[in-house]
Amino acid sequence: MNINLFLTTLYQRRIGMFWFSFGLVAYSWLMAWTWTFIGEMYEELLATMPPEMIAVWAPGDLELGSLGGYFQTEYLGMMWVLIVAAAIIIYAAKAVSSEVAAGTMELLLAQPIARLQFIVTRIAAMFVYAAILTTATFLPIQILGPTYDIEIAGRTMALLYATGFLLISAIGSFAMMLSASMRGGGRPGAITGSLLAAMWILQAITPFVEVAEDLEPLNLLTYWQPGDLINEGVVLASSWWVYGGITVISLAIAVVAFLRRDIT
Amino acid sequence: MTAAAIECKSLTKYYGKARGIDGLDLRVEKGSTFGFLGPNGAGKTTTIRCLLGMLRANSGEAFVLGEKVRLDGAVLRRRIGYVAGEVKLYEKETGRWHIDYLSRFRGGHGALTDELIERLQFDSTRRVRELSKGNRQKLALILGMMHDPELLMLDEPTSGLDPLNQEVVFDIISERVAAGSTLFLSSHILSEVERVCSTVGIIREGRIVVEDRVDTLLKQRLRHLEVTFRDATGAEALESVPGIAEVQTLAPNKLSAKVRGDHVDDLLKCLALHSVEDMSLEHASLEDAFVDYYRSDEGGRQ
Repeated sequence: MNINLFLTTLYQRRIGMFWFSFGLVAYSWLMAWTWTFIGEMYEELLATMPPEMIAVWAPGDLELGSLGGYFQTEYLGMMWVLIVAAAIIIYAAKAVSSEVAAGTMELLLAQPIARLQFIVTRIAAMFVYAAILTTATFLPIQILGPTYDIEIAGRTMALLYATGFLLISAIGSFAMMLSASMRGGGRPGAITGSLLAAMWILQAITPFVEVAEDLEPLNLLTYWQPGDLINEGVVLASSWWVYGGITVISLAIAVVAFLRRDIT
Repeated sequence: MTAAAIECKSLTKYYGKARGIDGLDLRVEKGSTFGFLGPNGAGKTTTIRCLLGMLRANSGEAFVLGEKVRLDGAVLRRRIGYVAGEVKLYEKETGRWHIDYLSRFRGGHGALTDELIERLQFDSTRRVRELSKGNRQKLALILGMMHDPELLMLDEPTSGLDPLNQEVVFDIISERVAAGSTLFLSSHILSEVERVCSTVGIIREGRIVVEDRVDTLLKQRLRHLEVTFRDATGAEALESVPGIAEVQTLAPNKLSAKVRGDHVDDLLKCLALHSVEDMSLEHASLEDAFVDYYRSDEGGRQ
């Protein structure tokens, strides 16, 4: 890893990183605060909604009126994934291919920095970014939660943090893999974003379409069930394997692709 | 034979089916000034990128400063200063930011940084997006030369610079070469190469078609002669001069001919035997030599 490149990478993304993190802190605080006056009537509120809509928000056996159900439906299940995916895709998709397209990669690789150092440093910065996004999400809930009658056990919060971090890393690693092999930041971002959108659609139609149910194991979002985690304090073992596997394989391909590619 | 700063052996690079360079052989001696000539698309930039390890050659091998070029050769690049043909910089950042950022990869500020900033009169406080083409070029030159590299690889280094700054750049380059650096100058501005370089290589369709000293090339060039005698003089007056060709009678007392640069002395000795009223002998330029190589279908001299 190259410290100069690492610090400069974070410095160059400081504005985006700040606003995404600020937004997540504000969103988390708002969700915790809202629970104080919506919590008790939340189940009644949901009962007024069409069951199809509820099924989209909270698939499976999740108890919607619970704290976990509330967080999954209102925040972590969909909106949070949308926000962090946007943040990490923008970073990762641009990490390599945009520099190549802009011509600054030629300037960089004319310096005494090895390609391996470059790509490892950009990956390390991605993990730091993922950690910042996860912290901005869960730290406000943990710190401010007791003020609003939200008590989440330390172990549960650690599991939430770890799976959330892994989910962001998996999405970012996939975008990074495309970025290391392609030219221009647009295509890697568009492909990753489109795949995620397809997964959302798949998740939404799964309760109603049998074929979609068969594809569930292939859906990355299937393994992100923060409501169950908050309520029961357990994570599916498959979540670790799927997110960890995608992260490791994508990054390995990213490294090999970047080490072999032509810089034109 | 002295050590080579750059050596390419049958270096070949294709982009799919499109030719970049094809079996390129090249040798640049350490401490020399080498001009790499060729029009757009001849393979100049591809060669440079292969030498810097940015492109993977399909076949052949290249050595720079005695080390084999690898795709990931970071250590070697510490000894090279490169200025790209198309300057690409971080638009939002200042010149000073670029200087500091790239310096840190080499462990600190280069010995020539302040001197280059001063001599090129570059304002390092302005953001790149506010800089003119000439000022961007100045920054690229500072970034490429600030660490006093052993090998300078410059691709159109004076592009966008005004004549005064071009002079400054030529002076700086000459000083670096005098101090022991090797210059590899890729250009299609032939007067620039003629002025700075002692040796040139002409690349055509991905291959080197000639590699020779500039003065040798100029000597071999045919110069156009027109001479007016006081009295009527026949073509035979010049035909005995070695290296002369195409003697034509333009008027009873006026002849034209072509003469090789290394036989000008013979020509003058011959003319001294006659009463000459007027004469003109066109100066041979590298441009003429270059055009000759490019006009020839075989890629060799006509």
